[in-house]
Amino acid sequence: MQSSTLKRLLTGLSFLFIFSLSLNAQQGNAENGKKLFNTHCAACHKLDKRFVGPPLKGITKKKERKWLHSWIKDNASLIKSGDKEANAIFEEYNKIPMTPFPQLSETDIDDILAYTDDKPAAESSAAVQVDPALAAKGKGLFQTHCAACHKLEGKLVGPGLGNISDKRSKEWLHAWIKDNAALRSSGDKEANAIFEEFNKIPMTAFPQLSDEDIDAILAYTTAGMVKPAETKTAEAAEIPVATTKPLNTAWISYTIVLVMFIILLWLLLYSKNGFLKISAVILVLLVTAYVLFDSLMGIGLDQGYQPIQPIAFSHKIHAGDNKIDCEYCHSSAKNSKTSGIPSVNVCMNCHKSISEYTGKVASAEEKTFYDNEIHKIYDAIGWDPEKAAYIENYQVKPIKWNRIHNLPDFVYYNHSQHVTVAGQKCQTCHGPVEEMDEVYQYSPLTMRWCIDCHKTTDVNLKGNDYYAKIHEQLAKKRGIERVTIAELGGKECGKCHY
Amino acid sequence: MADTDMYNSVPYDTYSANPVFKNRISAQLPVTGTVSRSTVVYEYPNTEEGYNAAKQNLKSPIPVNEKNLAKGKHLFTIYCAICHGDTGNGQGTLVKNEKFLGVPNYKDRDITQGSIYHVIMYGRNMMGSHASQLTDKERWQVVQYVQKLRSDLIK
Repeated sequence: MQSSTLKRLLTGLSFLFIFSLSLNAQQGNAENGKKLFNTHCAACHKLDKRFVGPPLKGITKKKERKWLHSWIKDNASLIKSGDKEANAIFEEYNKIPMTPFPQLSETDIDDILAYTDDKPAAESSAAVQVDPALAAKGKGLFQTHCAACHKLEGKLVGPGLGNISDKRSKEWLHAWIKDNAALRSSGDKEANAIFEEFNKIPMTAFPQLSDEDIDAILAYTTAGMVKPAETKTAEAAEIPVATTKPLNTAWISYTIVLVMFIILLWLLLYSKNGFLKISAVILVLLVTAYVLFDSLMGIGLDQGYQPIQPIAFSHKIHAGDNKIDCEYCHSSAKNSKTSGIPSVNVCMNCHKSISEYTGKVASAEEKTFYDNEIHKIYDAIGWDPEKAAYIENYQVKPIKWNRIHNLPDFVYYNHSQHVTVAGQKCQTCHGPVEEMDEVYQYSPLTMRWCIDCHKTTDVNLKGNDYYAKIHEQLAKKRGIERVTIAELGGKECGKCHY
Repeated sequence: MADTDMYNSVPYDTYSANPVFKNRISAQLPVTGTVSRSTVVYEYPNTEEGYNAAKQNLKSPIPVNEKNLAKGKHLFTIYCAICHGDTGNGQGTLVKNEKFLGVPNYKDRDITQGSIYHVIMYGRNMMGSHASQLTDKERWQVVQYVQKLRSDLIK
């Protein structure tokens, strides 16, 4: 009797003990797990990305706990035992065996699994259940209504909305989206906490969105977090660049010059023909005069000048691909003498939200390169892209651009006169800037070049009574049909030199 | 370039480095408490209250006419249409290229001349301030054109 009661008691106790142990294990200590993960796993595994091995975020939702334990302790024998899942993984990861970890205790493993579970999984089961058609509709709605202030990941004006359904109830989200002001004034704690956190900037209300619309948006915020399995790397595979050397023709002219020089030298030194000697001397003088004249005319001429700039700003991407008007950034061209180098706040009008380059690139390095160039702006003005805010008391660092176009000080030139009054396109003088990755000086900027244009460009008389009157008088007085800039004094020295 | 005084000026260029000032640049902001010529002082603060006050009370000082509308259209095309679209429907080139998302259609927003001006002045949410690119008068011309676009969209 006694022994049987004792036995029962013992078995009961041991069950309780085991149960409590396993309960304890189920919960696990995520903090300890993090340490263990970083020591044992992180060399080959990341939480959210495929590395040497698969990503481990939310792994317990995909595999059974028991299976994970035996895999971690001794994956080789699990594979040998013919376990299907184990063999599939082994195949998928190129038959590179994982290091076994027999030294890890049950609790250790549970701690690690607690850590991998700690943050909601990117590919949570909820995400998989979302109707893709609904999510697609939601994406459109999100981009129209929400994206001005919200991203899926990371703060913008408002909080990141990825997997928001995991954090807040559906009813609450519906109420908030439709009329957040009403929700706040109803005294809802969560609503008021958010309002405080985001500097009391109220969110726009969306009464026009139906329940269905909001459901679609919420579906997208969940489905949008599932990343397609690294398809980018395949796309970004390096495209071989054909590097054909341009045919070098310079040596032909060098040879000709050399041959002529030898002939001349021979004529002068050894020839007894007086006429040939004199002709040779005249020829040498003429060539010298030409070379001298040419080099003197080239003083201050910087056509083709293309300095390396501190930021690899591409006019092709901005003005070409994205069709931003020149005057958006060079805004003083319309009103002032100079066209203006945009100050960094103008860059930030767009680059507050565009923190990485998403255009076409040939390789991953190229994208990183462009991203770094964008981050140089942040460095200059002190913008923290993670927090989406300016850093307080930041010592701003002016960007030292290299000036390309420069007229000598004895010439007066005014941009507004050409841009606003004459209505000239920037490209008339600056060339196809929208096709230039790096800007170079397109025009010679010589006086002759200015005058040539003044001689051939007609004055625009449309809707300008003042010019129409002058045109009439000039045409009568000089017997001409067209009135060019030159006729209005565009050839006078004092117009530009005074 | 030849380094004579005629080619490179003795005075500091607009954008040049400058040893005279503390921050070592020639381009200085106006001294605190002063205004440069033609500056119009804007008294509404850059806050939610300021926005609401401007929305209620601020009125355009320029008359509605063809000339102002034409100028407004020209400026709108340069400074606004890239995101807001030529018709103000929120489908500008940058939105179509997915560089900027969530730009609203003017007809979905309750905006007044005062609130439009206020937003050009200070920006709102992800839109930045365009005060450095447009003068006071130019901002009002843009406001006039935006109001026209909005009434066209609502029709």
